[in-house]
Amino acid sequence: MSQAPVVFVVDDDPSVRSSLKFLMSSVGLQVEGFESADALLKRNPPDAPSCLVLDVRLRGLSGLDFQHELAARNCHMPIIFITGHGDIPMSVRAMKAGAVEFLTKPFRDQDLLDAVRIALEKDRERRERKREVSDLKERFNSLTPREQEVISMVVSGKLNKQIADQLGTAENTVKVHRSRVMEKMHAQSVAELVMMIDKLESSVEP
Amino acid sequence: MSSASTSRANIPLEDSIPQAGASLESILCTEELQNRPSRPSDYEKENRSLVALMSALANSPSSIFQMLAETILDITQCDSAGLSLLTRDGKKPDVCGKRFYWPAIAGMWNPHVGGGTPRNFGPCGDVLDQNRTLLFRHFERRYPYLMPVNPAAEECLLVPFYVAGEAVGTIWGIMHTDRRKFDAEDDRIMASLGKFASSAYQALAHIEDLKFQVAEREKAEAEVRELARGLEAKIRRLVEANVVGIAMWNLEGSIIEANDAFLQIVQYDREDLTSGRVRWTDLTPAEWRGSDERAIADLKARRSFQPFEKEYFRKDGSRVPVLLGGALLEGNGNEGVAFVLDLTEQKRAQEMLQEAQQTLYTTQVELARVSRVTTMGELAASIAHEINQPLTAITNNGSACLRLLANSSLDPEVLRQALEEIISDGSRASAVLAGIRAFIKKAPAAKQVVDINEVIQEVLALVGPELRKNRSSVERQLTKTLPLVTADRVELQQVLLNLIMNGIEAMAGVTDRPCLIGVESRIDESGNVLVSVSDSGTGLRSDGDRIFTPFFTTKANGMGMGLSISRSLIESQGGRLWAESNSPHGAVFSFTLPAAAGSPP
Repeated sequence: MSQAPVVFVVDDDPSVRSSLKFLMSSVGLQVEGFESADALLKRNPPDAPSCLVLDVRLRGLSGLDFQHELAARNCHMPIIFITGHGDIPMSVRAMKAGAVEFLTKPFRDQDLLDAVRIALEKDRERRERKREVSDLKERFNSLTPREQEVISMVVSGKLNKQIADQLGTAENTVKVHRSRVMEKMHAQSVAELVMMIDKLESSVEP
Repeated sequence: MSSASTSRANIPLEDSIPQAGASLESILCTEELQNRPSRPSDYEKENRSLVALMSALANSPSSIFQMLAETILDITQCDSAGLSLLTRDGKKPDVCGKRFYWPAIAGMWNPHVGGGTPRNFGPCGDVLDQNRTLLFRHFERRYPYLMPVNPAAEECLLVPFYVAGEAVGTIWGIMHTDRRKFDAEDDRIMASLGKFASSAYQALAHIEDLKFQVAEREKAEAEVRELARGLEAKIRRLVEANVVGIAMWNLEGSIIEANDAFLQIVQYDREDLTSGRVRWTDLTPAEWRGSDERAIADLKARRSFQPFEKEYFRKDGSRVPVLLGGALLEGNGNEGVAFVLDLTEQKRAQEMLQEAQQTLYTTQVELARVSRVTTMGELAASIAHEINQPLTAITNNGSACLRLLANSSLDPEVLRQALEEIISDGSRASAVLAGIRAFIKKAPAAKQVVDINEVIQEVLALVGPELRKNRSSVERQLTKTLPLVTADRVELQQVLLNLIMNGIEAMAGVTDRPCLIGVESRIDESGNVLVSVSDSGTGLRSDGDRIFTPFFTTKANGMGMGLSISRSLIESQGGRLWAESNSPHGAVFSFTLPAAAGSPP
């Protein structure tokens, strides 16, 4: 299901761009190069872990502007900045906005490759988390309203009897709801169910 | 009588005179006067009458003609008596002298007052023509238009009278019946009364003239008064509006009157003014006395002085800047009026402006200093970037090769390509460094045969980041088959770099058009190599060749050395460097270099 990871390189200097592609492909990474931010924006985002190696100084949209542009488009691809003349305030800005790394040219190849590896791992995790949450959401949405009601009482630690009292039904009925909920949510135990609900509630990121 | 009143309108105008009836001789019987039995003279009555007439002339001249008519009636015991006057209305030349009119009639013809006869066809005209007294009998026989005038005249004695030898009218008496006939005594009395009529006429004319003159003068005076009232109202409004200070003064130094605005300016109160404590001589600080003296000299020469700026002392001794203008009033030449404008606000604004300009200047100087430092920092960053790019590419390529080598998966073709890129980037970096080194450390002139197009390309590569930063683009027009030139390559680079950087800077504030650097190379008419760098920036000022003098700069952070050095570099290589305006915007800097000997064109 998950495809091979992709690294995107945006640098307007053709020789730098080409050398970056060569370097990363030498360790078996799939790389795509773009001469401008606009060119990258035209490509559809891949359904695979990916990251962006971005030159700060670009024609048209600057690297830092592009970082904001991507965030605005709800694209959370991790970014590694490379720059010929990085200064501290600029790198602070970039890191605060969520950059994985800020490298000053010329950099050690290993530093870049490490950063890329970290970025791709971050993206993979993010994507996995996202998929897990959407999976849970789907399961949760398949519950009937009554089942959803029951589940929220179960995870808050109420006993079947208390739930039955509160809902005004028989304890046996609550037991039936519970077993359906466990089944639909693919939960082996109440503890697992609690974790699932916790994940759902804390998933701010879509 | 009742029919007489309608007859007045029937007296014809000269334009419609009816056919004459009887001859003039047939209606005259003047000679009979001397043959008729004459009544004795009544001198006493005559004298009384004349005295009465004289005093009437003195007391009520307007009724003198009527009184004269009454007197004729009384003395000659006739039935009607009156005056005929030639029309003398100067404003109507068609009427003037063409008709007789009857201003006064006594007796039976009294209702005909205002009537008259034509000058050229009537009894009065006959009298004037013959220039003597005439006695008519039934004159309506010759002048039918008189027929309707009732009652008919049995006899009419007509006497002309003169002013300055010119006939102006007649006096006459009429008998409507034959109860009495005019005689020699009547002739004598009428002659005497004719003389009186003449003087009365003159007196009246005089009085009328006088009246006319008086009326004219009154009219003129009324106009002047009206004008003065309007002017006065306007001046009063001006004074009372207190928009400007207004003061009345005399040459001795007193301020006689002033409006509130004036008092406000000098901060005296009205009491000070009325008590005479406010004197303009005291208000004026010593150093402004000279200006006052000049104003007074102006006043004496031209009755007014040009407004000028000066200062007044306020009551508290502080000073107030004012604008003062004024003039002498009509009359004794000692008093005048002045307007005074308070310039405090204006001066304050001016000072603030000057202060602001001073601040601005200081800021600009400071900014220039900071900017110079910043520019150097930026230049360093640019250079770093320019070198880092090829270095990054080299290290990346090298690292990749090593990794592939370690995996023993390095395809020789891939390796060859990578090595070529490494070499190319290496020379790119060294070119940048060489350029910078040469630029910083002025290497001794090393003349060589140079392809100018190559130098242009190198410099354009060097300014690439600057161009991008300023969103400028380059248009190259390089002639391919140019002769080589003998020159110091580094110096040529410096000149080109300087010209292109100038162009970029000149376009820094340009937002309404594309920022375009044009670089052209070609052969000129003399076979020299010509290079020109154009921009679409702010263009040259009228400073002309001054831009080439050392330390002349139009930039806040410029040293004013670039063009000066560039020119001497080009000239040292046998060329010329000059500037022209670009159309429609910007400037073109061009230089020529002689083609190297033996170089193919």
